[in-house]
Amino acid sequence: MSMKTNIEGIIRHVARVMIDELKLEDITPEAFDPDIDLVDEIGIDSMDLATVALVLRDHYAIRIDEDDYPKLTNVRLIAEYIDQKLSEKTVAAAN
Amino acid sequence: MSRISDNQTGAEKNSFRKEWKFSEIIAEPGVRERWEKVRKYFFLRESTYDMSNRCNIRCEGCYYYEGDKQFAAENKNPDDWRKLMQAEKARGITYIVLAGAEPSLVPDLCRICFEEFPLGSIATNGLKAIPRDINFKIHISVWGNDDTSARVRSAKNMLVRQVENYSGDPRAVFVYTFTRNNIDQVHDVAGILAEYDCKLTFNVFSAPLGYRGALRHTTQSLGGTRKAMIDLLRAYPENVLFSHYNAVAHTHRKGLHDLYACSYPRRNASTTIGLGRSFRQYRTDLNWDRNVACCVPDTDCDDCRHYAAGSAVVTARMFRHAGDPEAFKAWLDYVDTYLAVWVMGYQKGANLSDYMVAPPGNEIF
Repeated sequence: MSMKTNIEGIIRHVARVMIDELKLEDITPEAFDPDIDLVDEIGIDSMDLATVALVLRDHYAIRIDEDDYPKLTNVRLIAEYIDQKLSEKTVAAAN
Repeated sequence: MSRISDNQTGAEKNSFRKEWKFSEIIAEPGVRERWEKVRKYFFLRESTYDMSNRCNIRCEGCYYYEGDKQFAAENKNPDDWRKLMQAEKARGITYIVLAGAEPSLVPDLCRICFEEFPLGSIATNGLKAIPRDINFKIHISVWGNDDTSARVRSAKNMLVRQVENYSGDPRAVFVYTFTRNNIDQVHDVAGILAEYDCKLTFNVFSAPLGYRGALRHTTQSLGGTRKAMIDLLRAYPENVLFSHYNAVAHTHRKGLHDLYACSYPRRNASTTIGLGRSFRQYRTDLNWDRNVACCVPDTDCDDCRHYAAGSAVVTARMFRHAGDPEAFKAWLDYVDTYLAVWVMGYQKGANLSDYMVAPPGNEIF
């Protein structure tokens, strides 16, 4: 699987979690703009983001630092964050 | 995560080392229901407003008469207040707290705020009844028995007058502020409030900046306060809105900022998301200053154990409580309490945790 494909898959999954957990209506994961600002344009707040982070933590078995929330302002950034954490985990496991 | 029951000593603490999935934690009966109940209120985004610069009493250690805000000129123009409320709504605020100096002195302005916001609360000394049509939660401050109130608040028969005004009022929550000197008095006060079927919650005196008086807590008085809180939680379960974790969080030797990293703008530089982005504290001239904006301005942050601060700061730290079932139950109890104290119509459930659970990353005491 290419890196791009992997990121695209994570993006769709993150979008699905957003839609399910925050009960966003009239949107599908495929139609979710990964670059839309979650705070400014969707109105997500810190408690929403924490809820999503808990579900993603479970699914990917990665640690998500509360201090990193301010960086996670759109779905693409969240997906890249997850991808990086997964890479770090792979490297750590190999060592 | 460590926890301790009421009857255990520190040496008997249990430890839980398993790494839990969140889905496992909320799978427990009762936990998922409480989680679903409280998360419906995650839309609440608060700001606070000083309604006047006047008060009908003067209390030792009052936060309002510290710092610059007491010198703000009152804006009494109803149109200006309505415009402010509409602008606040437009920028995403969903919950308002009307405080300082004494909102009951300006009921017409309070009514305008209520007309624009369905959800909010008013902090008052309770000596002047706020009209019933203003359907916000009403927090009535109690600082000890009537002898103590006469001494530190210069007000006679305070509890009698407060109960006369608010007994049987579903908006009312009496807020007993524990100081170093009034811990034992809470039992009599709680008994009277229970007799009149009033709701009661607890606050912990948090020194204003530069305060050198005798009300400031010591480690010993915090321990006594914690014991009194738990005793009353048991004695009056129908009246006392509190939990074991509330007691731990607000009587810990560390203040709330040390324990949870305060998320109000005054201590939080981030404007990306959360309170650092949305919270404002308006003075009575309708101006605000980000550098001093928090729920109780001019409090010494190192000593801050305010119930209002905890309601936001502890609640915001959901993620760090969600790695352990006991910690998450304790957090749910805290949030359930906070919502019952602050939101009209919200009914508190039975506490899920009968343990004293340590704040994540800290000891219990």
